[in-house]
Amino acid sequence: MRPLPSVIVLAALFLSFAAHAQAPVAPPPGAGPSEAEIARAIQGDQTANRSAAVASPGTVTSEAPTVAGLVPRAIQSLNPDISFITDFAGAWFSHSRMVADMQGDHDPHENGFNLQALEMAIGATVDPYFRFDSNIVFKQAGLEIEEAYGTTLTLPGGFQIRAGKFFTRFGRFNPTHPHSWNFADQPLVLSQFFGGDGNRGLGLEVSELVGFLPWYVEVLLSATDARGGTTNRSFLSASAVDQAHSPSDFQYTFAIKQFFPLSDDVSLSWGLSGATAPNAAGRRSEVLGTDVYLKWRPLGEPQPPIVSLQGEFLLRRYETAGGVLTDTGAFAQLLYRFAPRWAAGVGGEYVTTPSSDVGGVLSACNATPVSGQPSAACAAGTTQRYKSELTFYPTEFSRLRLQYNFEPPGPTHNVSAHAVFLAVEFGIGAHGAHQF
Amino acid sequence: MRRILLSLLLPFALGTLGQAHAKVRVAATLGDLGALVRAVGGDNVDVNVLSTPSEDPHYVDAKPDRVLLLSKADLLVFNGMELEIGWLPVLMTSSRNGNVQPGSPGYLDCSTLVSPKEVPLQKIDRSMGDIHPGGNPHYTKDPRNAALIAKGVADKLTEIDPAHAAAYAQNLNAFRKQLDARLADWGKSLAPYKGTPVVTYHKSWIYFTEWSGLDEVGFIEPKPGIPPSTGHVASLFTLMRYRKVPVILQEQWYSAQTSELLSRNTGARVVRVPGMATQSQGYLDYMNTLVEAVVKGLAGK
Repeated sequence: MRPLPSVIVLAALFLSFAAHAQAPVAPPPGAGPSEAEIARAIQGDQTANRSAAVASPGTVTSEAPTVAGLVPRAIQSLNPDISFITDFAGAWFSHSRMVADMQGDHDPHENGFNLQALEMAIGATVDPYFRFDSNIVFKQAGLEIEEAYGTTLTLPGGFQIRAGKFFTRFGRFNPTHPHSWNFADQPLVLSQFFGGDGNRGLGLEVSELVGFLPWYVEVLLSATDARGGTTNRSFLSASAVDQAHSPSDFQYTFAIKQFFPLSDDVSLSWGLSGATAPNAAGRRSEVLGTDVYLKWRPLGEPQPPIVSLQGEFLLRRYETAGGVLTDTGAFAQLLYRFAPRWAAGVGGEYVTTPSSDVGGVLSACNATPVSGQPSAACAAGTTQRYKSELTFYPTEFSRLRLQYNFEPPGPTHNVSAHAVFLAVEFGIGAHGAHQF
Repeated sequence: MRRILLSLLLPFALGTLGQAHAKVRVAATLGDLGALVRAVGGDNVDVNVLSTPSEDPHYVDAKPDRVLLLSKADLLVFNGMELEIGWLPVLMTSSRNGNVQPGSPGYLDCSTLVSPKEVPLQKIDRSMGDIHPGGNPHYTKDPRNAALIAKGVADKLTEIDPAHAAAYAQNLNAFRKQLDARLADWGKSLAPYKGTPVVTYHKSWIYFTEWSGLDEVGFIEPKPGIPPSTGHVASLFTLMRYRKVPVILQEQWYSAQTSELLSRNTGARVVRVPGMATQSQGYLDYMNTLVEAVVKGLAGK
């Protein structure tokens, strides 16, 4: 296991860097230039300041400063906001078959260094009526249009339409990108139900912000292409051709999202989602889910600590000629931002594979194995994963994360298995704000 | 059939009628701006502030209840210069509200009403910290700018709600008179401290210090948005000792640990002030507490 020492070395470097960039200690006495030098420099400054003094508190007119044409104002540009965000991870797995559980496309899945993602996000308003956003993902194998969609801005009645290719807004986790995740890997259940890249497709989404209720309620319905690499875990596979002959051949996703500001400091989001589409067995599948997000951020405090709890539960019914297969999965993540630049998190998750799943239709670990890794024949059973992480944010544009995963014996390995990741992220350019 | 259609449409028709006589619903991003809108709008506006006064305006949560407030607004009044870049754009898109989108009549970027300071003249990048390309966005702390913002808000309200033009003009005049009186008072109490060197936590005081005649000589943050490092604190300690800096100014949302350490070692007093006017406070009262706190610190009381 050669990568282990390198991970330890990297971890040590990470901690020392973090410690170096950390906060104040008493200043060393007597350091710096001599008193005489400083006194001379300061004398010079003060003289210069006195002669340059302009502002005066004696000014008693509120007319004083006016907008003069002296300074160039906003640098005008019709370019869209462009940003690049990249994630790398060094990974060590105690058990080679454990990687069969790392089914997320952005998960670290090899001993050694992993390119998790390089994404380019581009967005701008199109005209007074639309804005356009897209996410292009660069992979070793090529380029992928992850998202590209237009959004209406001014429809009446609280309506909004999105058209193009987009992540369906099923639950809270699915529509997000790796840079807003609390861990280096995505939850097991999302990989098993929606595939490594989440559930997304070409289509149309109509949502409405229900205006007459005193609290936030948003309802949405989307119709998307039911085939492809981002639907094949539950619906049609990428090889399905010309499937959309009737309206029932699309994937329909429904969600209701509610928000309750329990106090200034405590917020609760709660969502219910459902998706249905034809599946590869010639029948239909349904996925149902519920998600909660509870956030505590005491605003009265300076640089507040933040605690958030995020969880989702999903259930799938997959109908085949031989009967209905049902499996479930869930995850919960607790994040504690204990200092402005530091956060720690713990999480637990599971996904089941029913014994009736004879052909391995449902199990993600039977999906195409990651290149260079042994294919795992999955037994029925429950895969569990427990994670913990420590993240250091030098600024909001960079991130260093140390993560430890523990998996008890499960369908892919019959012993307890461990994994350690050291992940870094860099983001440049102008990147749009995120949803709460 | 026609009757059904009519009864379906009736609520919408009534809704539109009702709107014509209702107050102008204003969403302001920050406490200071909300207070100025209330001063000018008086009884003819309903003001909701999209952040709490104790929230650092750089890091406000884009909570969905704020989306709901913005979705019902006739007018959005915001600071601009990218101060709210991390949260306002998502609120605007999610609000689905045509009134408040860029280019709509209900979109008021207050930074267009004032003269910006510290507009970067060189090419900037993020190695310089959280620098805003349009200049330093904390302009509401110069009370003279409040007059310009109030004027801009009055013009905008008059455009949206011409029926109450006279009331807005009257409120604006009254506000300016009060402001001029306060400016005279504040000028007197600040006059003895002209040229006094001060250290601030964030680069958010330049409008205040240039107005009040204080001399900003250092910052607890080595670069905007970057927390202090050991070396920086050490050099700040030296600087503060030689310049005899009497006060460290900072908003309450910043931690005071470093400032108090420096305070213990240099004798400077830490002045922590509320960062924004509260919902129940007028802008002038808020500025008054700010000036009083600073003067008290400078006077060593």
